[in-house]
Amino acid sequence: MIYAGIDSGSRTVKVVAIDSDGFEIVSSAIVDQGVRQREIAEGLLDKCLQKIRPSGRRVDGIVATGYGRNAITFADATVTEITCQARGVLAFHPGVRTIIDIGGQDSKLIRIGTDGCVRDFAMNDRCAAGTGRFLEVAARKLEVDIDNMHNIALEATRPSCISSMCVVFAETEIIGLLAAGEAAPDILAGVQKSIALRLVSMAGGKVEEPVVFTGGVALMPGMTGALSSAFGKTAITARMPQLTGAYGAAIVAAKDMGR
Amino acid sequence: MASCAGTLNGPYDSNDSATQENMQKTCCKDPADTSVLFQNLAPLTWFKGMVQHCYDYAIARKAAGAKIVGILCEYTPREIIMAAGGVPVCLCGGSLEMIGPAEEHLPPNLCPLIKSTYGYSLKKANPFLEMADLLIAETTCDGKKKMYELLSRRHPMYVVELPHKSQDPGALEHWVSELRKLKKFLEEKFDVEISNEKLRQAISLMNRERRLRQGIADLMKSDEPPMTGRELLEMKSLISCVPDDFIWYESARKDFSGRKIDPPGRSRVRILLTGAPFPHGAERVVDIIEKSGGIIVCQENCTGIKPLRDDVDENADDPLRAIARKYYHLPCSVMTENNERMELLRGLVKEYRPQGVVELIWQACLTYNVESFRIRELVSDELNLPYLRIETDFSQSDSARIALRVQALLETISNRL
Repeated sequence: MIYAGIDSGSRTVKVVAIDSDGFEIVSSAIVDQGVRQREIAEGLLDKCLQKIRPSGRRVDGIVATGYGRNAITFADATVTEITCQARGVLAFHPGVRTIIDIGGQDSKLIRIGTDGCVRDFAMNDRCAAGTGRFLEVAARKLEVDIDNMHNIALEATRPSCISSMCVVFAETEIIGLLAAGEAAPDILAGVQKSIALRLVSMAGGKVEEPVVFTGGVALMPGMTGALSSAFGKTAITARMPQLTGAYGAAIVAAKDMGR
Repeated sequence: MASCAGTLNGPYDSNDSATQENMQKTCCKDPADTSVLFQNLAPLTWFKGMVQHCYDYAIARKAAGAKIVGILCEYTPREIIMAAGGVPVCLCGGSLEMIGPAEEHLPPNLCPLIKSTYGYSLKKANPFLEMADLLIAETTCDGKKKMYELLSRRHPMYVVELPHKSQDPGALEHWVSELRKLKKFLEEKFDVEISNEKLRQAISLMNRERRLRQGIADLMKSDEPPMTGRELLEMKSLISCVPDDFIWYESARKDFSGRKIDPPGRSRVRILLTGAPFPHGAERVVDIIEKSGGIIVCQENCTGIKPLRDDVDENADDPLRAIARKYYHLPCSVMTENNERMELLRGLVKEYRPQGVVELIWQACLTYNVESFRIRELVSDELNLPYLRIETDFSQSDSARIALRVQALLETISNRL
């Protein structure tokens, strides 16, 4: 039996199809988010299933998650990203106690009990500071390619101090830092550090290892290091960090519908 | 009675009577309420028209010579106002529309309840405020205290000093003396005598109302709660001890017993809501929780159970001191240390058996915001229940984000079972 999870995020849409036998990922796909969210997700699901079932789309159950989950009207159920990230990361990293998920407009910290259940979670409120959006704004302001950002940040000698709790103000702060002659690598390292520190305050001092970092921002190598030093713990990058939410959704579909 | 409830649309809300008629015909969905009314119950119909009833009552009482006294907090002892022949009416604002105007005078980073209340004054949009002969306020939180300075430029106001050390006997004595000063002020201002006899009559009325409302809230202790938390929240009034309200409080307890809601209470996740109150019109978070599969079995806040818990001693030799004692022990976050709130929460968790606790904090409410650290500690570590903190204001912009967190909390609870 094939089950699919769709993670409709603010920046990208992710689809993962799994075999209910062993929850192996049999196909996956990622595309940029857009205006017609339902159609985008439907097209992506088709593409994903084409790879395994060229004769036609057929899937035994679909669970949608992510901020756009309610627009995926063809899904059998919707489940929050908290539950899906936890299921997905736990499948890849059994025994994980803390999950840090940084996406396009959200950042979350999920605590897992020794029983493998979600204990509690924290996430950003209205503001996008401490999310991928902040990195995008900084990259644009500094005229660097976001995929190359971490390499530039590696050249930092003294990370800048960025204190704004709001992305809009942080942008202004970056303009001020540039005017004051701070080097781009220092500013970028400062941006990474400020995102990591937002997560630290979100955690409220309660973080247990293993700490697994997931979400689109986890694809940037520098961020895992920034999180590790901000938390004073070793954070590891999740396996397939962009797909753990969709993978978790597929697992929920297989477990809840496959009974 | 109660509690900070403002006027969303004012008593002239044109939907009001139409809604009532509609509800009398069929069981229908009220546009102002997102929860379905499962069965047409007379007390609910009555309280849907609460603002209009209060308006009619205030107009009639004022015409008969009574003074309208605006109040802005549960610490105001309504008994003293009633004994002076006054009609205490709650003025707390719950309207988003009033916040823009308020920000012409007040900083944006201030509690929405304070801003909304003040905005009503600037726009002259709250008829109760406009007809008030006097406002009585207290030194509770800094935001309110400083807003009152500006509000008093346009409305006659008397400010009572509320001490903040809740366990200090000297502080209580100061509160007693402050209430004696208030009594004297009212006697002179309204040219009346506030006798002990009049105080006792008012105490008896207020006690009766508190017990009746507590009796309705008690129904939520059932494994099969007969109403939603939103419906319970509706059954209160801006003006205390309106004679007609008593009839409906009386019948509600009877009418609701054994009522079935859909989906049934048993299938929903029981939530205790704590923190800041819900002024009339700002009930969005309640609806989000109940639409997501939760049921609010208890509200530990000023629009819920907090002001109802303790009676005033009707037989005390010194009724004013008895009044002072009851009100001083309201466990608001302005108090330090607010251990009585922790005690109250421990008791409520036993009585109402919630499966999770949600704390609501109005944005920039400093005292509830800081105190939330202690609440989280109490709930997660001592009571061993999942805890979710929601900080928001009266705008809708973060509804989807709040819903996400509420749904995740409910999923977490369901997975634990």
